[in-house]
Amino acid sequence: MLTQNDLVRYKRQILYPDLGEKGQKRLEQSHVVVAGLGGLGCAASLYLACAGVGHITLIDCDRVELSNFNRQILYNEEDIGEEKPSSAARKLAKLNSSIEVTPVFKKITAQNARKMIKGANLVIDGMDNLKTRFIINKACVAEGIAFIHGGVNGLFGEVTTILPGRTPCLACIFPEFPHWELELPVFGVTPALIASLQVTEAIKFLARFGALLTGKMLYLNGNTMEFTVCNLTKNENCPVCGTEEVRK
Amino acid sequence: MSITVKLHPILQNLVGGQELVEVTGHTTGECLENLESRFPVIKQLTRDKRGQLRHYCEILINTKSTYPEELTAPVKDGDQIDVICFFAGG
Repeated sequence: MLTQNDLVRYKRQILYPDLGEKGQKRLEQSHVVVAGLGGLGCAASLYLACAGVGHITLIDCDRVELSNFNRQILYNEEDIGEEKPSSAARKLAKLNSSIEVTPVFKKITAQNARKMIKGANLVIDGMDNLKTRFIINKACVAEGIAFIHGGVNGLFGEVTTILPGRTPCLACIFPEFPHWELELPVFGVTPALIASLQVTEAIKFLARFGALLTGKMLYLNGNTMEFTVCNLTKNENCPVCGTEEVRK
Repeated sequence: MSITVKLHPILQNLVGGQELVEVTGHTTGECLENLESRFPVIKQLTRDKRGQLRHYCEILINTKSTYPEELTAPVKDGDQIDVICFFAGG
């Protein structure tokens, strides 16, 4: 139910014909999990809160440190040492007190991933490592929850939207768990751009309008300011979302 | 036989911005070798010390995964090979 305050707060986006009050109500009734509160997760959770997503769960197992500040825009210097989820939740509550924000200070593992995302409408990939991304991808497929993947490297980034059972998942593209040993360079603006695209996808998915980045990976090349798309096909032999026979 | 390789943006960056490269070969491996012979710098990102394709790289033919035959999958005239890498940071 949208209140008078909501109608004022979200007026400028309700004006968008594809959203309207109906779409805004859908956002209000949605539960989104932001898995990882680094550069991607900070920017994504801010825009989810701005958009009026009714319930946001913030998951991370790290504490705020000095090296975060070039890109993790929810934290201040006085937060150093604080658990990221509680620090981030405090900022989001100040930004939008009408939504529910649940901080979870916990490491996502293969054992607990399904339980941690259960019941959500959507999971936003805010991870900074490949291993957990693939754990979340698998958990989202198992739970039938949409997963919006984002990843960055320097001034490059990528986004795709995964709808379990209907679109390629991360393991369709990379069936063997990929390793990346090196510490990656990253500017603050790259995860900000990619997270904005992830939340654009989230808003459309939750409010049910527009075309999604399903079956395609959108790449950002910040060096040349070009966006390109790589089309992807669901892999029937995928170890995660392939046929039941394959997964055995 | 003409095959087109579409380079991932991070690989394009290594070869002066070129996105599409015409190559020759009967398999994905031959096509990749043809590409690498013209742009040796690509190997730095796509191959490990033993010459194997790195785990964060994948080869698609006409948008379909070639796994587990990334370097041996047959190609035919007019195919498009995508060489993609995974962006791991966040």
